[in-house]
Amino acid sequence: MILLRLISWQYIRKHRLRTLFTIAAVVLGAGTFVGMHSAGVAVLSAFNDTVDHIAGKAQLQITAGDSGFPEEVLGRIQSVPEVATAVPLIEAVVQSTKKGEGNLLVLGVDMTGDRSIRDYDLDSGEDDIVDDPLVFLAQPDSLIVSADFAQRNRLSVDSKLPMDTMEGEKQFTVRGIMRSAGLGSVFGGNLGIMDLYAAQKVFGRGRRFDRVEVRLAPGLSIDQGRAALRQALGSGFQVDTPATRGHQFESLMQVYSVSVNIFSLFALFTGLFIIYNAFNIAVTQRRTEIGILRALGATRRQILALFLGEGVILGLVGSALGILFGMFLARATSGYVSDVMQALYGMGARAQDVTLSRGFMVAAVILGTATSVIGAILPARNASRVDPVKALQRGQYQVLSAGENRNRRIVAAIFALSAIACAALGRSHGLFYVSYLSFIIAALLLVPALSLWMSRMLRPVLRKVRPVEGVLAADSLIQAPRRTSATVAALMLSLGLIVSIGGISRSSYNSIAQWIDTAFNPDLFVSASQNLVEHSFRFPDSMTRALSSLDGVADVGRMRGNKISVKGASVVLYALDIEKVAAHTRERSIVAGDFDRMNRLTAEGKGAIISENYELLQHAAMGDILPIPSPSGFVNLPVVGIVRDYTNQSGTIFIDYSVYQRYWEDPTVDIFEVYAKPGTPLEDLKTRIQAQFPEQHRMFVYLNREVKNRVLSNSNQFLGLTYIQIFIAVLVAVLGVANNLSISITDRRREFGILRAIGALGLQIRGSIWCEALTIAFLGVALGMAFGALDLFYELGLVRNDYAGLTLDYQFPFGMALTVIPVILVAAWLASIASSESAARSSLREALEYE
Amino acid sequence: MNRWSVTCALAILFTGLWPTQVQGEDARQIVTEALNRARSKSEHYEGTLEVMNPKQKVSTKRWIYDRLGAYGDSKAVLRFEAPAEVKDVALLMINHPDRASDQWMWIPAEERDRRIALQDRSTRFFGTDFSFEDLEERDVDQYSYTLVGEDNLDGVACWKIESRPRKGKSSQYTSSFWWIRKDNYVITRLDNYDKEKLVRRINYKDIKLIGGIWTALTAEVAETQRNSRTLLKLDKVEYNLAMKDTAFSREALRR
Repeated sequence: MILLRLISWQYIRKHRLRTLFTIAAVVLGAGTFVGMHSAGVAVLSAFNDTVDHIAGKAQLQITAGDSGFPEEVLGRIQSVPEVATAVPLIEAVVQSTKKGEGNLLVLGVDMTGDRSIRDYDLDSGEDDIVDDPLVFLAQPDSLIVSADFAQRNRLSVDSKLPMDTMEGEKQFTVRGIMRSAGLGSVFGGNLGIMDLYAAQKVFGRGRRFDRVEVRLAPGLSIDQGRAALRQALGSGFQVDTPATRGHQFESLMQVYSVSVNIFSLFALFTGLFIIYNAFNIAVTQRRTEIGILRALGATRRQILALFLGEGVILGLVGSALGILFGMFLARATSGYVSDVMQALYGMGARAQDVTLSRGFMVAAVILGTATSVIGAILPARNASRVDPVKALQRGQYQVLSAGENRNRRIVAAIFALSAIACAALGRSHGLFYVSYLSFIIAALLLVPALSLWMSRMLRPVLRKVRPVEGVLAADSLIQAPRRTSATVAALMLSLGLIVSIGGISRSSYNSIAQWIDTAFNPDLFVSASQNLVEHSFRFPDSMTRALSSLDGVADVGRMRGNKISVKGASVVLYALDIEKVAAHTRERSIVAGDFDRMNRLTAEGKGAIISENYELLQHAAMGDILPIPSPSGFVNLPVVGIVRDYTNQSGTIFIDYSVYQRYWEDPTVDIFEVYAKPGTPLEDLKTRIQAQFPEQHRMFVYLNREVKNRVLSNSNQFLGLTYIQIFIAVLVAVLGVANNLSISITDRRREFGILRAIGALGLQIRGSIWCEALTIAFLGVALGMAFGALDLFYELGLVRNDYAGLTLDYQFPFGMALTVIPVILVAAWLASIASSESAARSSLREALEYE
Repeated sequence: MNRWSVTCALAILFTGLWPTQVQGEDARQIVTEALNRARSKSEHYEGTLEVMNPKQKVSTKRWIYDRLGAYGDSKAVLRFEAPAEVKDVALLMINHPDRASDQWMWIPAEERDRRIALQDRSTRFFGTDFSFEDLEERDVDQYSYTLVGEDNLDGVACWKIESRPRKGKSSQYTSSFWWIRKDNYVITRLDNYDKEKLVRRINYKDIKLIGGIWTALTAEVAETQRNSRTLLKLDKVEYNLAMKDTAFSREALRR
């Protein structure tokens, strides 16, 4: 402790900027981990809160996929002796037309019986949330909103609130306001409650309910109730606890969590190299001081402890600041994460409040401190090996790590071979991860050798460009390979991550674009949902004939999506007019099965086609029997074909629309696929379709290219999350360069002094530092691109094997690479300005004094 | 079969009882006699409902009420006339002697009838101080009665009788106290308790003899814990009119 106070504290005070950079490296690593995870947890927690509050006292929920079930089922449920209360529900997310309010979660409930399940006003202790319940029921435009929402939008009882409905934008009347606690707090307070039967009409449900919520008779266990209901209803219904919905959402959030983990790991690795660099140079600079300490009797262990202690302190400070940064990051990104989940899966919840869990804070402190300590270990070990005699002799330099490079290269080669061998051996998950890890270790171990080699290669080029400054810069890099390689490694990791993220984005974009062209290719889409993925609004099947009879329409296919659970996995079932789809998708990518046979059998109701990701994630194979739950019982269909499809992340099953009609008795359609006759002007047809159905106000007619743009923008929106990560990666890179140069000029103060003494101009010194910064950036960029190119291969493997079962074609992101290169070079130059100014203004006297 | 049903608290004092002296009766006999005297084959009235909520805001509704059949096996239609927002909303109640009533509501704006999900019978009846349970016709056998004493209410001598639901009968109330006038067997007050707590008090006033039946033309309900009050005034009361059974169906609600 005394050493820390007397020695370390003085050093930290003297080198505030460098200390700041070192701490910043920990802050970014720990902060990213805490922030991104907390944002995810906040969204998940908000979703679970929403589920809990909506479920209220319900112990079980009965569903039959997204299609819901006929009203008559309610009577069957209520007649089960084990059921004390059963209330129906309709749930829809609608676009609020209030500026800046986003989506509104609307629950359609039967107010006459619903209070036995849900509390509408927990805090007030009274149940007058509606002025007149009879008027509320009698007027289908009645709406209850939360107090928060009302306050934000200056609404009071009898105010009008416009909302999107199946009949277009419609004015609703606020007839009740509930407290913002409890149920009123769900969905960030953006909650509306309306009468069940009015909701049926507004959301095009016909005479169906989305689900029924059940309270069991006193004394019964959940399992007893579930068993009784399953027996009474048959196999086509899902009887689950409300928490099950939370679990489904959690599994969708898994992709986010894994990508956050990978990024956090990269951020911490990058920070590790920055810290290593800072400590390494500190040891070099302080060798005289260490020699004195050793001469005065300090043991090697004490010196080791001194540097590790510094590592712990910097780690703790960095972690603490990282938690604050993480808090800021979580607040900034949670809304975005929620919007992405809503857009992609139609499930989401607005996180009202983001709090950091104690677990994350502890993890951040452990990770931050561990990173700092690991970064300090090698320099600390070297410090403990300082020979006091050599350290106190002027002009003597002790080489502490001779021969290390050769060993490192050998180990790197072993890991590289391991990576290649494991990658070549097969598709086993274990081997894949061993290969990935081996590749990263090999790449990191090779950085010093490659940096040195490339610096030597660049020396003649630099001499040609700037004879004095270029040579000085190249020599500086060559003479301090360890300092250079640590910064280059940090840059390489950051840029590698940017490249692989960009690569996934480009690969997804191209693969999805190709899929839309070959498999999702009608000329026009007529959808009841603006974003094409929500099933809150539906068309009646009767529209099919009217659409088909329009001039210029060659064919109309129906699409009805339905979230279902097959063998415990939540997947999407798509009912299509398979024959029509087959006629237009001959070019689509087939994974297994014969195109004609699979479509014929599916159209005849003798089989189902599954997506490739269903096959991979659910371990299904050709010929497997799929027990598909329907309100009429299980529909058992064999897998007759596997196709590449990007409709759903968890997997998709395709059946014929006629089969769906037979078993689900749900005569509704989400999307009509309209194929035009050759030569028909599509814009004109779009206008005529809109004019043909004036009563269908909520109808979105999209041209193929518009849908393509929309789907691709959804894909980009998810990847947009990673742009936040890219920003942080660039920041880490800049930090690395700035830190490196700060160390470099301190290290070379004597050199600069001598140069000034022999007549070098400040401009030349400045130019030399700039050259050094640009060369480091160049080395980082070159190695980062190479690292990213290989990392992309592994990332695509992760997407296929673990994320979504999606096979994406390898596409190197040249566009992003070309954008990032100048950004990094400019950032490096900017990062060098302070250091170059400091070096250029250094006087000979100061330099000699320092020495 | 000694099965007399008890009308709901609301309905009880819409009808009156003949002032016949009953000698040496016990509590059960008094209640039975009171209900017996209030029986009619059918009933019609126009009602005005004033609800004063805890914020002292008053809302007024008018309805027309028709009932066909005896207690425990009757059918009733209640059709709202005013205000404009609820005009033509109608409620069909089919009472059964052995189970809870079935109720449907016709909402003109939705052009459909809907079954009232009457699972929690303590729910208040559309914002009034009556609960759905108060509207049910109850089997007299499902309650036990005790004559707790005699009392003067507004200067009139009354029997004070306590009723408690028998085992197996579910009710939001643990006990009720009835004040039945000695002179004409009309119920003038009904206090409903949850354990020791008074939940609802119903006072019946303005008692007139109509068609041979003593009828309370005003019923005032107060929900003590909410500080709210509901006043029901009956007008154009008629008994034993000829009514068609078909007028009490889901189809008839749509008229």
